[in-house]
Amino acid sequence: MLRILVWEFGKLIRLRSVQVGLLASLLLPVLWVIAPGLRNQFHLNLISAWQVPALSLRTGMDFLFPFLVAMAAAEVLGSEVSLGTLKSVLLRPSPRSRLLLAKLLVALLYPFLLLATSLAGSLLVGIPYGLGNFYGGTGLNQPDAIQAFVGMGLMTSQAALLEVVKAHLLAGLVLAPIAALSLLYGTIFLATTTAALAAISSLLLMRLLVAFPSVQPFLLTTYLGLYVEPSSLFMGLSLLFIYTAGFSGLAMLVFDRKDV
Amino acid sequence: MSAALEIQDLGKRYGRKPVLEGVNFSVGPGEVYALAGPNGSGKTTLIRLATGLAFPTSGAVRMLGEDLHSGGYAVKRMLGAVVEAPAAFYPHMTGRQNLDMQAFLTGLEDASARIREVLARLELLAVADQKVGTYSLGQRQRLGLASAILHEPQVLILDEPTSGLDPQGIQKVHEILSELARQGAAVLLSTHHLREVSAYAHKVGILGGGRLLEEVVLQAENERYRLRVSDPEKAASVLKTVSDISSVLARDGLVFFEGRPEAALATLVREGFRVYGLEADYFDLHDYYRERVKNA
Repeated sequence: MLRILVWEFGKLIRLRSVQVGLLASLLLPVLWVIAPGLRNQFHLNLISAWQVPALSLRTGMDFLFPFLVAMAAAEVLGSEVSLGTLKSVLLRPSPRSRLLLAKLLVALLYPFLLLATSLAGSLLVGIPYGLGNFYGGTGLNQPDAIQAFVGMGLMTSQAALLEVVKAHLLAGLVLAPIAALSLLYGTIFLATTTAALAAISSLLLMRLLVAFPSVQPFLLTTYLGLYVEPSSLFMGLSLLFIYTAGFSGLAMLVFDRKDV
Repeated sequence: MSAALEIQDLGKRYGRKPVLEGVNFSVGPGEVYALAGPNGSGKTTLIRLATGLAFPTSGAVRMLGEDLHSGGYAVKRMLGAVVEAPAAFYPHMTGRQNLDMQAFLTGLEDASARIREVLARLELLAVADQKVGTYSLGQRQRLGLASAILHEPQVLILDEPTSGLDPQGIQKVHEILSELARQGAAVLLSTHHLREVSAYAHKVGILGGGRLLEEVVLQAENERYRLRVSDPEKAASVLKTVSDISSVLARDGLVFFEGRPEAALATLVREGFRVYGLEADYFDLHDYYRERVKNA
């Protein structure tokens, strides 16, 4: 299994959507730092490099990161279909579930890779502002962005690092069900664009369901901001796990009897 | 001889549309079975079903008695196949690396010697360590065959194995396939090159409209002859009683048969028939196929 995982990871890194996504997540923090409009939105005068990751994460998690994750997860399977290599792999005496599980694990790993790149890019462009202790907040400890940047007095660099890493890990978990959903659509449609569009459309539709307050607590989209909402952590993580496991299980079932 | 590959009442529908209906045939060990048919006749669907890539709506595919679709992935250990033309590989990996990964997925241990052997057999050693992305169409097609025979399968299924090859490449592939059949592999292939495959295929299945229209036996155990004789119908009836003669058929004023021509002649002369001519009956598969598909 390990060899298949390494092999799948090698293929993931070669996907065009992954390369574009990683490049975008590395370079976009530059924009956040120099864009006066964005800074006005958060009433923020940057005073520390530890505040840049929040700018990237908050703006990226709105649409860009979910979109990049949906595209990459769909392409994990779709690229093999368009290359024709899926057939040659499935002809081998190896269970389909093992092959899809490797793809799924790699697709679930991708959000963390994307966010790690974004974090690295953010800290890199933030270096001129310094990585030491500062007065203010990282922008990641509560839902209200303006208050989150104001903070509560002195923030040590160690505490800032912990807060930033925790938020990025949580954001990765938030993106995991989106990757699983996109891969599920990939097994249904066996086409990258259709699968990614279906995943994004599903998310947008779920967002519209806020009109039904009774279902809102159970919607995946309700927890897209979990990385800055420590209060709903348990409920949010439980639901995200259920969604990820559910989408993954369905993908396995569909793929096992899918005509290729 | 029990069949290595059995296609039993196989059917496939997409929604209400039947793509394949009630197809039955079998391929024995050492036998080459060619599938022919116009575009859209269901050849590719049949190949996908026979390799386990698609699932049948009805019927079954059996390999050495095991159901391919419900018998688990282990049944595929007996199968080698190429279902794309040209065969698909990871372009960023070399030919050797691609085969190494295929060997790993097949469960072949320490496959480097075997990989070298098949690469040499398909005349690909010189390009084995180049990325597949740089391969010509013919090289990719030959690498596909190398991948299919890597684990010495008992059943070989190939969709248009000579597509995109030059005449030398076609000849090479035909040589390898007939050699594998001689070694005991059951070979099923789809093709438009009927004249070439008729040199070594044992049977040809003609598909049309999703049905197996006819199964033509090409390599009969006995040579086939045709007779011009007085009263062909009656002569055919007489020949059917002769032990050395088989497959007797009266058609178009001629009598066709397999077996010893001396025995047929002696019998007919003894029974008082006038024999005007006797000659070997060479079967032109391509002409027959065109006629059969036109009339289907």
